[in-house]
Amino acid sequence: MPLPAVRLLWLGRARYSDLLALQEQWLRRLQVDPRPGAPSGTEAGALLVCEPAGPVYTGGLRGGLTPEEITRLRALGAEVRATGRGGLATFHGPGQLLCHPVLDLRRLGLRLRTHVAALEACAVRLCELLGLRGARARPPPYTGVWLGERKICAIGVRCGRHITSHGLALNCSTDLTWFEHIVPCGLVGTGVTSLSEALQRLVTVDEVMPSFLVAFQETFKCTLISEDSPS
Amino acid sequence: MARHPVRVLRPGSAVQSARKFTEKHEWITTENGIGTVGISNFAQEALGDVVYCSLPEVGTKLKKQDEFGALESVKAASELYSPLSGDVTQVKEALAENPGIVNKSCYEDGWLIKMALSDPSELDDLMSEEASEKYVKSIEE
Repeated sequence: MPLPAVRLLWLGRARYSDLLALQEQWLRRLQVDPRPGAPSGTEAGALLVCEPAGPVYTGGLRGGLTPEEITRLRALGAEVRATGRGGLATFHGPGQLLCHPVLDLRRLGLRLRTHVAALEACAVRLCELLGLRGARARPPPYTGVWLGERKICAIGVRCGRHITSHGLALNCSTDLTWFEHIVPCGLVGTGVTSLSEALQRLVTVDEVMPSFLVAFQETFKCTLISEDSPS
Repeated sequence: MARHPVRVLRPGSAVQSARKFTEKHEWITTENGIGTVGISNFAQEALGDVVYCSLPEVGTKLKKQDEFGALESVKAASELYSPLSGDVTQVKEALAENPGIVNKSCYEDGWLIKMALSDPSELDDLMSEEASEKYVKSIEE
């Protein structure tokens, strides 16, 4: 039986609002219940990947940012956005690989919890492929991928009608000082790190992308397909 | 021909319909035109520990299958869908302080909302407990 196909949409440097708009489009498309006998050759979802063009702080379903914090963060020149994903506050910005898999869990044989586990496994596998040992997932409330006591990859997802949205944010060459202005994921006293910090050299999102796609296909057991022209 | 939900009589309690289920693992019981909505044991197990319940305000008008909130667990927010059409009359306040009640008691104390039903005949479209169990078995690996 062939592996399910997932459409790869690499946006390059993109505004967070553009990523969300594209995510919405795919959610609407995938959440319509398939008619009986819909061809199984169609995509099981889309993998939206980008490098955020500018600094953005986001909160989740529970919030995670007070009005005072939001004012302060905007004064720093960052966008601040609410989302419906799980998890509390986090940061997205240049140097980060931001990935939103919009997937039909049924087509990938996943449940919500195994989807989260697959996202963690993907980030761990990517670190391995880059020669970085010691990256690991941790159980709740420390969901995410860690190097020692520092988080290298944040995770937060949403699921409706079997379709996932949001996903993971992996620090490649992110300016980590942006994280000092929040309590990342609401975990007081924890730190963040990046591939560049861990490998002691500049590791860009562009360099990481090919390995990321290999890791994703491996951990989600799917095939990524792409068109020549951007969507 | 009108069909009536099976009536279950419990000692000392008002007449209450048997629990019915959606394919999205929500359940509803009805009593005097008021429906009580929660999630099934299958759903609470699949979610894991619920850390937050996002529920609608009293008075919210819902159509059958409308999204009415979400439950968060493990950095994952799962949407909730209304089994029937109606107006929200009550929200389980205790879940704000203690969202874990959904896991511990999904069929009793862990109810999420109550609603005044606008079209009780919609109950006929939902699955019985037995049909729901068969459905869950058929979708499990």
